[in-house]
Parts: sequence; C-alpha cells; structure tokens
Amino acid sequence: MRGITKRFSPASLANDAIDFDVAPGEVHALLGENGAGKSTLMQILYGMLRPDAGTIRVGGGVVAFASPRDAITAGIGMVHQEFMLVDSFTVAQNAAMGRAGAFDLRATARRLSELARRFGLGVDCDARVRDLAVGVRQRVEILKLLDREARLLILDEPTAVLTPQEVAGLLDVLRALRAAGCGVVLITHKLREVLAVADRVTVLRDGRVAGRVAVRDTDERSLARLMVGRDTGPRIAKAPAVPPASPPVLWVENLDVAGRPGVRGVSFEVAAGEVLGIAGVDGNGQSELVEALFGLRPATGGRVALAGQDVTTWSPARRRAAGLGYLPADRRHVASVPELSLADNAILGAHRKFSRGGGWLRDRAAAAAHARALAARFGVRAPGPHFAAGKLSGGNLQKLVLGREVEREPRALLVEQPTRGIDLGAVEAVWAELLALRAAGCAIVLVSAELEELLSLSDRIAVMFAGRLVGIVPAARADVAAIGLMMAGREPASLAA
Amino acid sequence: MRWRFERRAAPADAALAVAGANATAIALALLLGGLLFLPFDVAPLAAYADLAGAAFLTPRGLGYTLVAAGPLVMVGLGTVVAWRSGFAYLGFQGCLLMGAVAAAALALAAGPDWPPAAFLPLAVAASFAAGAGWAALVGFARARFGGSEVLVSLMLNYVAALVVQYLVTGPMRDPGDLPQSPLLPHATWLPPLASGSGANAGVFVALLAALAVWWLLRRSVLGFELEVAGLGARAARFAGIDVPRRIIAAAGIAGGLGGLAGALEVLGNQHRLLDGVGEGIGFVGIVTALLGKLTVVGAVVAAVLYGGLGVGGNVMQRRAGLPASVVTVVEALIVLLVLASDVLLRYRVFRPRRQG
Repeated sequence: MRGITKRFSPASLANDAIDFDVAPGEVHALLGENGAGKSTLMQILYGMLRPDAGTIRVGGGVVAFASPRDAITAGIGMVHQEFMLVDSFTVAQNAAMGRAGAFDLRATARRLSELARRFGLGVDCDARVRDLAVGVRQRVEILKLLDREARLLILDEPTAVLTPQEVAGLLDVLRALRAAGCGVVLITHKLREVLAVADRVTVLRDGRVAGRVAVRDTDERSLARLMVGRDTGPRIAKAPAVPPASPPVLWVENLDVAGRPGVRGVSFEVAAGEVLGIAGVDGNGQSELVEALFGLRPATGGRVALAGQDVTTWSPARRRAAGLGYLPADRRHVASVPELSLADNAILGAHRKFSRGGGWLRDRAAAAAHARALAARFGVRAPGPHFAAGKLSGGNLQKLVLGREVEREPRALLVEQPTRGIDLGAVEAVWAELLALRAAGCAIVLVSAELEELLSLSDRIAVMFAGRLVGIVPAARADVAAIGLMMAGREPASLAA
Repeated sequence: MRWRFERRAAPADAALAVAGANATAIALALLLGGLLFLPFDVAPLAAYADLAGAAFLTPRGLGYTLVAAGPLVMVGLGTVVAWRSGFAYLGFQGCLLMGAVAAAALALAAGPDWPPAAFLPLAVAASFAAGAGWAALVGFARARFGGSEVLVSLMLNYVAALVVQYLVTGPMRDPGDLPQSPLLPHATWLPPLASGSGANAGVFVALLAALAVWWLLRRSVLGFELEVAGLGARAARFAGIDVPRRIIAAAGIAGGLGGLAGALEVLGNQHRLLDGVGEGIGFVGIVTALLGKLTVVGAVVAAVLYGGLGVGGNVMQRRAGLPASVVTVVEALIVLLVLASDVLLRYRVFRPRRQG
C-alpha cells in the first residue's frame, strides 16, 4: 500500500499518505492507540472503504477493491472483532456458506479438518458454533479464511476477548501461519503481543506512520513512546487500602440472576475505600452481575444491601438516591444518549434535580452550567454544552460520564470496562479519578477484561466464570497465571493440589 | 479531474441541505405527476397554479385548507409525541373515532342552550380523555405484557370503527334512512373565524395543541424523560426513568391528541357522527408527521401543505377535468419522494483535489 490517504471530515485525515507492506511468511504488527487510523487503513485494504488517494498492490499488480468480495478473491482475509459466524450452524456449514464454487459440506469438512491439523487449530468441524468458546470461534474464523485460500490474514484486535492461555494459543497459530508462508497483519494496541510474535511493527499516530521497526531492534519502552508520542509515566501508584473497619458498604449474598450464563450464587462484600476487581472473560456473567446490583435486572435469588439497607427490590432511581453510582460498559448507548447534547447527558440520572416549577419544568441554564463545570473539572474536550454527546471521542465521553457519577459523590460505584477503547491519556485520567474516589471512601466494584487494569487498581480480585465467583484473591499477592486459570474455570483449590 | 460520487461518513444535516433535498423531491414529484396530465390535454403548469391558488391564495380556499389541516395537525402531533418516545403507535384512527364519539355525544346531550364558551373546553377535554384512554390501553399492553403496539393499535382501529358503526345504526341513530347521528345543535359547531372564511376556531385548538406539545418536548421534565426513553430505552433505565410508565404517558398524550382530531372533524366539519367519519386522517396524519421529520414545526407545516394539496387538488381536478386518481397519484408521489430524498443527504458529489 502506498500513499494511502483517507479523509472523513474536512478537519481530520484518518490516514495521511501511509505506506504499508507485508511479505509472505511475515507477521507485521500495526500498532497504535484508538483513533490512530489502524482500522481505517485495514478497512481500505479489505475493500470496505475506498481511499481518497494512494495505490494498493497485491503480488505486484495494482488492485482497486470495490468490496470485501474483491479482496477475498485477491487472497486477503480479515478476522473482525465481532465474529461473522452463524451460531446455530456447524463449523463446516459456516465455512461452506458464501464460498465460491459448489456447495459441498462433506468436501468442506474434509478440507477444514486437514487445515486444522496442519496449523494445529484444534477445531471440531461438526460442532455447532454456539457451543464453542470464544477462542475456538476465533480459530474457526481463521480456518474459514484459510479454506478460502487467503494468503494475507488481517486480525483486528484478536486478543481482546481471550484469556491469557488462549492468547498464547493464538500466538502459536500465528507462528504456524507464518511458517506456512502466509502474511499476517496483527492490529493491536498491546505491546507485549507485538514483541512476542511480530517480525516488524508499524506504529500509527494521528493517521500517520510514526515509525516502522524490526521487532528484534526495539523494546516495550520505545514502542510505547512511538505510540503515544511522549514518554509514558510510571504506572499509577495507589495508597494502601483503608482498613475495612466499618461494616461493608455493598453487601451481596447468594445472588442469582437469570440468563445464560447469568449469575449463580455470588456473594461478596466491599468496604468503604476498597476496590473489588472482578476478572473474567467477557460474557461470564459480569454484566448481569453489575446490572442486577444496579437494579436493571431482577435478582431471582439472594440479597443485595447498600449501607445496611436491603435494596434487592429497589428501582435504579431509588438505588441512585441511596448513593449508588454506575459506569456501564456501553458508554455510548447506556451511559449516554448520543443524539442529545452534553448538557442533557450531564444531568442524565439526576435530571429531576435540574428543574424548576415544582419539578415540572426543565432548567436548561442550570444543566448547561453543570455540563461546563463537569467538562472543566474532568478535562472533557468539547466545543460547548450544546454539542451532541455522540460526536465526542470515546475518551472524552468516558470522562464526562465518569465525572457525572463522581460529582454525585456516591457511596458505592459500579464500574464496568472503564477504559475499553479509549486512548492512553484518557486511561490515566480515568484511573486517577477512580483512585481519588477510593481515597474519598467510596466502595468500588470494578469489572474489567484487562488484567493489568485490575492489578493496578484493585485491593482484591474476584474471578468470575460461567456466572459463579471462582475465587477472590488479594491483588497484592495475585499471580497472572493463576488468575488466568481461574478465568478458564479452574478452582483455586485445584490449583494448589 | 472528474466529478466523483461518494458515500458520506455521516448524513448531511445542515438546514439548507435538508431543505434542498425536500425541494428537489417535491419538484421531481410535480414533474412526474405533470406527465400524467398530458394525455388529458391539461397544461401541468397552469393546473398547478390553479391548485396553489385555490388552496392558499384566496381567503376562502385558505380557510378550507386550514379546516382540512386541523385534524391532520392533531394526529401529526400525536405521532411526534408517541414515536419520539419510542412508541410506534398506529392507532390514531381509533383515537379519532373515540374522540368524535365523545364530542358528538356531548354536543347532543348539551342541546342548543349551552354557551359555546362553556361547551368547547368541555368537548376538548372529553374527546382528549376518550382518545387518551383508547391509546393508553395499548400503552398498558406494551408496558405490562410487552405486546406489540403496532399490531394491537391496528387491530383496535377496527374495533373503534365497529363501535361507531354500532352507535350510528343503534343508540345514536337519527330517525331516517341513513346510519348517522342527528345533526348537532348549531351552538356546538366550532364558530367561524370571520364571516366568509371557511376557517373556524379549530385552527386555534390546533395551534394551542402544537404549542403545548412543543413546550412538553422542549421544556418539561416529562418531555425530557420521554425523549430519553425514545432514544435509548437502556439509557433511560440506567438514568432511573420508569420506562413502562413513560410509555403509558406517551400513549395517553398521543391518543388524546388523536381524540382531539375527532372533535375537530365532528364539531368543525361534519357536524354529526357518521360511519366512516374522518376516514384515513388517522394514517395521513402519521405520514405528515414523518414528512415533518417528527418535529412539531415540521408536522404542522406538512399537515397544512397536505391539507392544501387536498383542497387545491379538488379544485384543479374540477377545473381541468382530470380524474381524481391523477391527483391522488401526485400526492402519493410527493410523499414517496420526500421520504426517499433522505438518501441524497448520505452522498456527496465533489471534484477531488490533486494531492501534492
């Protein structure tokens, strides 16, 4: 790819004259923060977007892809973050679907088994996709591409949804692909993966190439500097926890929530000034748990108490009034309403307080003033209180909705994936804000898929698997490998044995 | 350097772009419709001039246009409230009939002796309540049992039509041949705005309703909660808004406005309850609200234009000797093309600048 340029709006270039190439038998990592232009570049390569300028060559000849179909024909395949699989079909059915040529399930299954053996993918071709773990589904996607004779595979943030053990497995698969002469593009923002598997790395920043180096000539520090554009400071330092002298602020006993997997018999307590981290691979009941704690899902069993009051059957509004805050994972559609202005979003959840005329009339001036104050205090960069919240970047929106909860000085705060998809500067701001809240005596439940985040912020870490708490360990003595095994469902007791 | 055509990352939303797209659509619809005039030896431009003149440029014609637009405005406002609150209500025809029944029954009970100043507010309240109750049934079914408001409200339209049929053939029937109620006492008719004008006090009712809805959505806390519930039910629940209750409230307000449409139709236009009163208004009003992009101002403007299209279309058809179906085709073309014109906003045509 040479001189690739793509402009979405007059103000910003998503890709500015980017050169990029991959050789056969090479893993080339594409590293950068969110919004650096990685996805845009790869969507252009995959035919989903057309460049404003620049050329793409595959195997020597210039190509112009009108759609992903053209890219697939040219031997390029992409594994998206959201898997493109039909859950109720088997692996072989999924691979046969949409493939050029005659529809022959048996031949497809034969080819897949052969490919799976060759690349050590370990996939049962007759299994239904809905019965497979996330890591296996990802391998099915890779298998599907190999079956379509892709010579270049693009993987978009492939490790975001995997346990540490699954990540190791994926990296082995990538090495096997390289050995077989495939080219691999690994889109990521995780430095360790780059160092572990890639041959070369291209770092994008603000739509431009910030640097391109061979992995053997670099290290974590210099890559981070290339990615962020400055030296990254030391990891956040947290003060020792306030000893839990008082009765717990949040108390959960034998909580059950319906669903798959739902929540099964979860008990824990969180003291004032304590952060309880909840680790687990996405989709093991963490979301159901926090939604039930906030009253968005009914508990089918067990009890929840907040500051000594049984709140199990309370509505979200009532729990808010009692001092519970919530920072949902979906900041765009749950924590905020993208179509509404910053001012409207700044009062969401406390909008009845910003009223006149006995609570019937909106006080728009007060709401706008509140939005301005929040933006100033929490460093939200936005043109003004009437700007649509949906147009904010992920990091700025997160600072706004977190600031909104912090401002209300909650007794207990539920936090879900607070830094997913936001840039490093915003991550540091969010972490600092959470630790300040902890120092102020708030009890925090932190659900995250990022182990590093949990280890940095938590006092204790609980691990969820299939809706149950597998165990709770003090963060100071936590060991990544042990937590990884617990995330895969192994009891701490069986580890000791 | 060639012109290029490309999909925009986000649809253009500048007022000028939207107005331009709508104007293009209307012009195209009139052009296509005009082709249909040619086999009848009618000059399209002259015919359209007749239409516009008859609908908007004479006081009498403008009066008729406003009378026709009144019920459409009401249903349109109801659509704005319901749909913006995330409640895809289609039962305005039923609400209209219920409001018509309430207004007619009250007028017949009141007799000729009531002063209009006392009767009109009472009739407005009664028909609003009738429509509100009718729609709140659907809101309750959705909020409590998760029933589809689309299906339930459509089915209830038939029920309402049959209730009216029963009333005008039974309890409320005027002794005579036709299945209709007696003529309402003259004192209960909506008073004309000025002698010689076709318009009546219904214009004020519609205007007040539009102001009230605008105020509700822009200025009231309830309106904010409705809006949030409509834009994202999950965000609304997160914000502690009781979404089921808000749905019932939205249904009630929307249905009440639909009921008022029935009152305007009976007290201002038909002056009696009859089978098929206000036929189609409950659906055309939804269309005008959609043409107005679910905004209060847009819905009112679209309803007045649409009302004028009906009035002027009749005149044009009579003067030029066109079949009625041709006029209907023009109306439908305008609706279709204006709705389709959104697609223009998603693309842009430009000349790429040479890269340095």
